Amino acid sequence: MIFLELMWEFLKVGVFSFGGGYATLPFLYHISANYGWFTSKQLSDMIAISSVTPGPVGVNVATFAGFVTSGILGAFIATFSVILPSYIIVVTVSKLLKKFKENKHVQAGIYAIKPAGCGLLAAVAVKIFVDNVHGAGMYVLWAGLLLFSLKQKKDALIYLGISAIAGLAFGLLGII
Amino acid sequence: MPSVSSQKTLLYNVRMEKNCFNIFKTFFKIGTLLLGGGYVILPLLQSEIADKKGWATTDELCEYYALSQSLPGVIAANVSIFVGYNLLKSRGAVSALAGLIMPAFLAIILISNILAKIVNYPTTQNIFAGVGVGVVVLVILTVKEMWGKSVVDKFTLCIFAYALIAALAHLSPVLIVLSCVFMGIIYRMNFPPKTSHNLDTSCPQDNERKGEA
Repeated sequence: MIFLELMWEFLKVGVFSFGGGYATLPFLYHISANYGWFTSKQLSDMIAISSVTPGPVGVNVATFAGFVTSGILGAFIATFSVILPSYIIVVTVSKLLKKFKENKHVQAGIYAIKPAGCGLLAAVAVKIFVDNVHGAGMYVLWAGLLLFSLKQKKDALIYLGISAIAGLAFGLLGII
Repeated sequence: MPSVSSQKTLLYNVRMEKNCFNIFKTFFKIGTLLLGGGYVILPLLQSEIADKKGWATTDELCEYYALSQSLPGVIAANVSIFVGYNLLKSRGAVSALAGLIMPAFLAIILISNILAKIVNYPTTQNIFAGVGVGVVVLVILTVKEMWGKSVVDKFTLCIFAYALIAALAHLSPVLIVLSCVFMGIIYRMNFPPKTSHNLDTSCPQDNERKGEA
């Protein structure tokens, strides 16, 4: 029964959470309150852990909830359920887009949707800049990394590596 | 400028064969690097999928991102399914999704207990404060790339500005994307494209891919 409940609850998260990542959080608090599979303290720890583990927050929390309630099988079911709606919806949209690619309204929509996507991501850049970059050391790291990256394009891993080492060094030097 | 970027593309393109295993492998790498927030998926896709492999163009990624924002579910997963589906239909979508999710799944199952202990150490926090700054730079770079492909005239500039301001004002991304699509359709009904210029074929990578097929 627990498997069906897990499946049902995380299918709902998958279907109703618009806007990604943190949009899943209200649902997860609701689950925590209704089922007691995990406490809200565990959930907030989980969000912190999620930022240091690979993968999107929504998926991480689903895996975690499934795992603490009923082991690996539970983890698998919860994770599968949270992404199943995405799969069905996105594949359907992809098919429709392919089919109606020549339609002039679809082309007009795509023409407008690209700058919209770019604008939304620019807003994310502004938000995470405000959240993540404070203190002189971080400003210097940010500006240096930005200049370096504009000069020569490298693998994303290299920038993340440099910034991790810089964070560690700043901590050791006490300038964070 | 365009010739430089297309040369660069050619240099990068090792032309990895588009099969399920390669898609899985690529998305496994992306999934592993996907730290702190799903939007990091875009810089990673730009680097792995667009620059290195030429499996999708920057403006396609832009389109997928906007669509993913307006569809339910986890954004990183949505974008990956779009890319995978475009490469190899359903098989590609499943491979991309499995690759993306696998590192997340394993990380939680295997190391979440250990991570719960170390996540509050000052050293760990310092490292991730640093990574946070790196992520900001990655996202800015991706915005720059996307800007070049999506903001092509005054109308698209207005749409960009509107989406940016509306998102900063916490308007729902679903509403933003839908209203932009609506405005695009209205605009195109009144001002149809002048030539047969088609955005989809304006990219050198696309032409290469068509030549290959």
